[in-house]
Amino acid sequence: MLKNAILTLLSLAIAIGLGGYSVWYALNAQDGVGAIRIGQWTAFPEVGTLNADPYSKARVAREGVLALGQAEGLAFVAERDDAGEPLKRECAYTIEGGYPTARFWTLYAADQSLGVIDTGKPRQSALQSYEVLRRPDNSVVISVGSRPSPGNWLLTGGSGKMYFVLTFYDTPIASSTGLSDVTLPRILKAGCNA
Amino acid sequence: MRSLLHALILGLLGAGIVHIVVLFLVPEFSERDAWSRLAMASDLYKMTRLDAEAGGAPVVKSVDPLFYAAACRFDLSDGLVRIRAPGDVPFWSASVYDRSGHNIYSFNDHNANGEKLDAVVLTPAQMIDVRRDLPEDLQGAIFVEAPIEEGIFVVRAFVPDESWKPIVSRFLEQSACELQDY
Repeated sequence: MLKNAILTLLSLAIAIGLGGYSVWYALNAQDGVGAIRIGQWTAFPEVGTLNADPYSKARVAREGVLALGQAEGLAFVAERDDAGEPLKRECAYTIEGGYPTARFWTLYAADQSLGVIDTGKPRQSALQSYEVLRRPDNSVVISVGSRPSPGNWLLTGGSGKMYFVLTFYDTPIASSTGLSDVTLPRILKAGCNA
Repeated sequence: MRSLLHALILGLLGAGIVHIVVLFLVPEFSERDAWSRLAMASDLYKMTRLDAEAGGAPVVKSVDPLFYAAACRFDLSDGLVRIRAPGDVPFWSASVYDRSGHNIYSFNDHNANGEKLDAVVLTPAQMIDVRRDLPEDLQGAIFVEAPIEEGIFVVRAFVPDESWKPIVSRFLEQSACELQDY
């Protein structure tokens, strides 16, 4: 009798504990179903639409996100550099390469919640395509770090994990047909302030 | 030993079922979704700033730092809702979301008449009524047919640099979200 009760409790504990935990884990993982990866950049074109999978629907509800619509834009998030190392706020990076067609784009350094990182300085940790300097072949080189640098400089600071969020506005790549031959800039580590 | 194994397998099966059930219940019972957050911040038919610039923590997070945004909640069972904003900004875009935060329709300034934000959200049934006799002042508006009742309308506007901040702020503060008689 007691043995049966304990076994029943055990099954219930496994069912509820593991079931609940696995949902929590799946919702917190950055990667997910329906992701499109280009280099180190990940986008979720279907997030926030009625076609989204149950996992992104739950994530949208839990985090209170209002995702960009197709006519608005498409956001890419990077959490690793080209060598596969996680991005760190204490490191300096170079983001270089060409960008796909869009009316304009914005790039910012984000913390875990994908909000812009707070450097405590008046300069925002964000850049946009109207203000960047371009090279003759129309590509852009951006230095990321806490020390000012010539050319395009994206200010970061502090320590811990960092993400880059690159958003294209009014762009044909937001409709899925345009995503096939898109290339995005590379993220190269320039050095770390250990 | 057999019965322990039995209990473990049963537990794992149960975990699978609980996983699926919880996953589908999260959107139903979330009190942190965009609608609930907006409801805590303001009433229906009231444009509310979403970015932190207006003071306090951002109502709905993850807005591009180079963007300002405002949103209003509406209920189409009360009638049509019309959203207007005056002024010129470098770029604006707008989206209609349903009660649970799914993007139903989006457009940007290039889709609008004279790049002015003037949109009417209505249900297909209301659309039939309005088509019959289109009021004069709705001629230039964008009609968004949405098969929903409660929803959220979001306007986002681009702030290229510091000097645009007051202009874009004014654009959003003067935007109106009101029930429309027809």
